[in-house]
Amino acid sequence: MTLLRRQLPLLITFITGILFAAQYYVPHPSSELMLTSVSKWLQIIGGFALILGVTSLFHIHAVKIRRKEPGWGYSFILYISMLGTIVIGLWHGGKETVDGVATAFGWIYSYMMVPLQGTMFAILAFFIASAAYRSFRARSREAAVLLIAAVIVMMGRVPLGEYLIPVSGDISQWILNVLNASVRRAILIGISLGAVALSLKIIFGVERAYLGGGKE
Amino acid sequence: MTFAERMLRIDRRIIFLVIGLCTLIPLLYPVGLAIKISPEVRSVYDYIESLPEGSVFLLSLDFDPASKPELYPQAVALLHHAFKKNLRVIGMTLWLPGTGMASEVVTRVARVEGKVNGKDFVFLGWSPGGSSVIINMGQDLYKAFPTDYNNQPTKDLDVLKDVQSLRDVTYVISLAAGSTGIETWYVFGKDKYKFELGGGCTGVIAPGLYPLLRSGQINGLIGGLRGAAEYEVLIGKKGRAVAGMDAQSATHFAIILLVILCNTFYLLIRTPRDKAAPGQH
Repeated sequence: MTLLRRQLPLLITFITGILFAAQYYVPHPSSELMLTSVSKWLQIIGGFALILGVTSLFHIHAVKIRRKEPGWGYSFILYISMLGTIVIGLWHGGKETVDGVATAFGWIYSYMMVPLQGTMFAILAFFIASAAYRSFRARSREAAVLLIAAVIVMMGRVPLGEYLIPVSGDISQWILNVLNASVRRAILIGISLGAVALSLKIIFGVERAYLGGGKE
Repeated sequence: MTFAERMLRIDRRIIFLVIGLCTLIPLLYPVGLAIKISPEVRSVYDYIESLPEGSVFLLSLDFDPASKPELYPQAVALLHHAFKKNLRVIGMTLWLPGTGMASEVVTRVARVEGKVNGKDFVFLGWSPGGSSVIINMGQDLYKAFPTDYNNQPTKDLDVLKDVQSLRDVTYVISLAAGSTGIETWYVFGKDKYKFELGGGCTGVIAPGLYPLLRSGQINGLIGGLRGAAEYEVLIGKKGRAVAGMDAQSATHFAIILLVILCNTFYLLIRTPRDKAAPGQH
């Protein structure tokens, strides 16, 4: 059992990890062919992950409905909406339009999903404004610097700001291009080095959390 | 309770009303202030302008309907430009919920520009895998997408003539609303398959992409509704983005005003002890 649960996955991870790290630097046709095949596998696995995700969602909300947990009504609506969309989607072969005419699936997409998602995102503007009023305060020197930078960038990114204070656009560009870019780059380099270190730990079997929490 | 304290506890519905009015009024009564073109948007425009007719342009619409207000106008402007330049356009998406919208925008703009599906453009649709799709397209486009969104075999399409993989694509632009977007296209695509890459994104993720811009990993960046408005001005086809800029100006200034007010009231109610230890809050 240990062989299947521990040693074999570790061996597969080690071999594939080394192989594909090296593959990037080998432009030989057989190396490229191997990458083509594996990328196709990954796409297929990606498809199965979708099924796994939907199944998991169904399971979580089924439990909530069965136990009548707070907000179970929303889970019920989710169930009906999801099942309804899946059935209608399969009925129309996943097509939103046929010969330029919208199908029922297309109608759900265009007149329910698009406006609902748009609304969810749009109300963020109201909450951001309210949150900015309540919490964006110059409580320290650092907060004051952040506040001033934010105000300049907000002014420089809209025509009214550039109209009232023409230099605000250039200062905003400088903040984004120099200050922001350099700090972001430092963060990115840190993250990348961390990712390389983690990859090496996974390849060499030091990090084994992906195998699950069972005891050896 | 002092006036400043009362103002700091103002009903948030008043703030919502202010933002609502600042959005609505400029949309009803537009002012049309001049829009200055930023270098990062001009770079994308100039690069497309420099492409010869028949060059292969891939537009990856990597966003869902939540980001439609910002990224849809970008897609419209870029497609108009590409079709005007007689480029061969390949549309696709890495975001499943955006597939229908992406298909609609590509076919709609193509119809307006009098372009023929399969000959001048193709919409490949969505395929699972995210970064794996890019690698697969880089190896063999026809294995990643054996058929297009309308189930036509991609091998038979005129628009894809002499295109075997991403190595044969001249310019790729990813319009991204988050991860699996511009960075993914750079890491798994441009770096290996050596096409030129540009980006378009929502305003909220634009600052995070400036390092890629400064290092030349992307050759241009269209950021948010402002970027879309700049592109509309560049192609001389003012649309939804330009129309929305007055509303954005008004809401930005409303938020700036609210922040100034809240800080003024905050400074007024700060006690001497607060001033002595500003970092304790």
